[in-house]
Amino acid sequence: MSENKSETWRKAIAGQAAKIAGDDVVLWRAEDLMLYEYDGLSTMGKPDLVVFPSTTQHVSEIVKLANRNNLPVIARGAGTGLSGGAVVSSGGIVLGFSRMKKILEIDIENQRARVQPGVVNLDLSLAVSDFGYYYAPDPSSQKACTLGGNVAENSGGPHTLAYGVTTNHVLGLEVVLPNGEVIHTGAAYLDPPGYDLTGLFVGSEGTLGIVTEITVRLTRKPEAVKTLLAIYDRVHDATSTVASITAEGITPAALEMLDGFTLRAIEDATHAGYPRDSAAVLLIELEGLREAVEEESTQVEAVCRANCVRQIRVAQNAEERDKLWQGRKNAFGAMGRISPNYYVQDGVIPRTRLPEMLDFIGEAGARYDLRIGNIFHAGDGNLHPLIMFDARDAGQSGRVLKAASEIMMKCAEMGGSITGEHGVGIEKSELMPLIFSEQDIEMMKTIKSIFNPKDSFNPGKVFPTGKLCGELRVQISEGAARG
Amino acid sequence: MAMNLQSSESIIEARRAVGVKPADAQSWAYAFAGIVGARRVVTDPAVCPAFNVDGMTPGAVVYPRTAEDVATILSIASSWGLAVIPLRSGTKVGMGNAPLRYDIALCLKDLNQVWHYEPDDLTISVEAGMKFGDVQRFLSRRGLWLPLDPPGGARASVGGILAANASGPLRVRYGAPRDMVLGMTFATADGKLIKTGGRVVKNVAGYDLSKLMIGSLGTLGVILDVSFKLFPLPSLRQTFAFSDASLEACRHLRRAILASPLTPLRMVLLNGPARAIAANLSAQYGPDSNHEFWVEVGGSESVLHRSAQILSGLSAFVGPEPSKLDEAVARECWDRIADYTAWASQPEQDLLVLKATLPIASTERFLEAVYQESEQEQCRVASFAQTGAGTVLLCILTAKGEAGMATFVSRLRGNATRLEGALTVLAGPPVLKQYVDTWGPPATDLASMHKLKQTLDPSGILSPGRFVGGL
Repeated sequence: MSENKSETWRKAIAGQAAKIAGDDVVLWRAEDLMLYEYDGLSTMGKPDLVVFPSTTQHVSEIVKLANRNNLPVIARGAGTGLSGGAVVSSGGIVLGFSRMKKILEIDIENQRARVQPGVVNLDLSLAVSDFGYYYAPDPSSQKACTLGGNVAENSGGPHTLAYGVTTNHVLGLEVVLPNGEVIHTGAAYLDPPGYDLTGLFVGSEGTLGIVTEITVRLTRKPEAVKTLLAIYDRVHDATSTVASITAEGITPAALEMLDGFTLRAIEDATHAGYPRDSAAVLLIELEGLREAVEEESTQVEAVCRANCVRQIRVAQNAEERDKLWQGRKNAFGAMGRISPNYYVQDGVIPRTRLPEMLDFIGEAGARYDLRIGNIFHAGDGNLHPLIMFDARDAGQSGRVLKAASEIMMKCAEMGGSITGEHGVGIEKSELMPLIFSEQDIEMMKTIKSIFNPKDSFNPGKVFPTGKLCGELRVQISEGAARG
Repeated sequence: MAMNLQSSESIIEARRAVGVKPADAQSWAYAFAGIVGARRVVTDPAVCPAFNVDGMTPGAVVYPRTAEDVATILSIASSWGLAVIPLRSGTKVGMGNAPLRYDIALCLKDLNQVWHYEPDDLTISVEAGMKFGDVQRFLSRRGLWLPLDPPGGARASVGGILAANASGPLRVRYGAPRDMVLGMTFATADGKLIKTGGRVVKNVAGYDLSKLMIGSLGTLGVILDVSFKLFPLPSLRQTFAFSDASLEACRHLRRAILASPLTPLRMVLLNGPARAIAANLSAQYGPDSNHEFWVEVGGSESVLHRSAQILSGLSAFVGPEPSKLDEAVARECWDRIADYTAWASQPEQDLLVLKATLPIASTERFLEAVYQESEQEQCRVASFAQTGAGTVLLCILTAKGEAGMATFVSRLRGNATRLEGALTVLAGPPVLKQYVDTWGPPATDLASMHKLKQTLDPSGILSPGRFVGGL
């Protein structure tokens, strides 16, 4: 839509934005904008302006200002997204939500809360914890990521295995549309009369509207939680265990897998207690009534043993449990210690195909001479292979993309998906044709054109540009890629 | 009609004919026969009334064999401006406002196959015309199920359940259809087949168009096949009943159960007439006594044992200990509680069922208001309150004139609105719908909904007028 503008021009628009949202909440100098050029994906884009609104009215007015000046608008939470959803693709105004972080209402008896989009995911759970409740979706970045970003990406997390992703926990939204209009969708009660626009907006990656208020469902904490660490000498046994647990109809709250390479990196960084000499571990969490947890635990242990587990450790207290989870949730960070750069993927496959898929990833790594660590939300077939590389080595960077593409294609071929929780963003837009027909994608574009006819909200995301064919859109080169 | 037109030429001919709408139902039915075969287009006046919607009879009933058939039929119907209502068993036909127009009943009874089943992955894909009972029977062989107890029960079709986002008391534990759908294929009004979502249990690629189709009552597209995530059947189930409980006691009990470690499969609060309906007795004889509060739990023997202990501990709120219902009897009662279409066997000829959805905490207050209103109107009401979800189903048992009935419904809706909830009519005599909007005011931005409808169904042929806001 637009190329970046001159400093003088930007300063003038900034003046108008300041009149709307306040003097100290508008960034326009090149050096101030640099922080907002990237998110969790190693791809960059320069915004023309960053504005931090405090109210829905501010958002609406800034959107109108952007319209008058033909500037795209990109919403941004904490910038933890992994698909480039908050990265500017063709200039424009970034709306940062760090000032809209109020929990507006907590209503325990009605099991709901109303929040502003800048509220950090974990902060909501902490705020309701004393009442025995929490907010179920728990992305690994939950200490930093915001609920607005979660809604945009329909984020998941380890415990979505039992509780579902963001869309299963959002009851209603306040949304600013690309024309600046403010609308409401859904309600604080079930089955509100009307089309399920809430369900459409969740996961639309900021391309249909910008969320300014969210009503979420709160979940009661379980009576008992048991966390098991199943340790394996062969990766295959771990993946077979996951397939058997699913096939037996056992439903853990979380079922995570880390391979030897990954768990050693984590041990070096956080000392979570994963045995360094193992080939893989499963982190299995069971929740519910005490009796149910004990029974499931017996079932799970039997399945592990039938699949040649070396040892099963049970976290004896909250501290041990937290440590095991800390290792898992800080896994990406741990990778930064052992490799200058890494690239993480988010494909999904049927859980029955896990052993086969892991072999495939291993072969791809060998073929392209790359180290690939595997960390999976194994229980729902959501894979996060981590490809290590050094961005200073141009040859290596090319191989990373080739290996990554092959893994994605394999996911699609197995009847899976290209993204389980990170979103399509910039990164995977060209891969959409792997799982959708041209007609399917056209239909999505038609829906987009209803709300966002000028493509002014988060342009360049989700949809294939048509210029590249089936390629990942990631800048894997020196300077751009980060660990 | 003695035609045998299934050749591709006849399809081409039928498509060529698009643009010139034949004058009468017999003639345009002939064109559809060219697509699906003469035996699959019925214009017999003895048959069509079985597909009536709010007293309106379709000109023809069409039975497509494939998704492609549906797409072709819709594209022609769009060109000719023929209004289409997808209908299978008609269990939820009472929902929605009276259609503005109604030419074709699209019966998907022959799209009834399981086309993908991965029991080890806990996923299944079925066609929309498959009956819910057949899906459950199929799944139960492997100890799996779709944890839904929608109105219409076994007779309901998968497509209908989704079009209505229909759920029952199991919702408190498992959620609504929208929470179990992984993806689907639907046909658009202009005859495109669109796939959305996928078959794996986690997937955020692209817009979640399934959400638009689910609950849109056939006004945005026709659902053709659906992929679900599956759940293991609970090994054992037990229903506990607290009897003779005042509303105040029920409120305490609801709070205590939701604050306890229990995760009940179902919870329902039944007044006297509702209790009678659940037991398959005439609601006329249900005593207007206090409520019964039923809680169903599932799991192993030790889980049921512990649940019994917890629930006994809560009996202080209501007085006597909860009784354990015989499992076989309880199952039948729950089936009747979940399926309001079965309440029609009551002496009243015109079934009138309302559904209020409220903040959980307002459930009992709403019931109080309902009882006050019904006493004033001298009107008997059976109330089935899913207190853990804030959903109340009301069956109005006293016949009144439609004007009086409309006023009564409006007053109940007023109470639901005052308590920050909503009230819709699930089933009612067609004449009542002339006086009352079955949906009430939309909760979601109406202008956006209009734009969606206009874009997806510009000719207004999909169940026109039946949805919220006249869509």
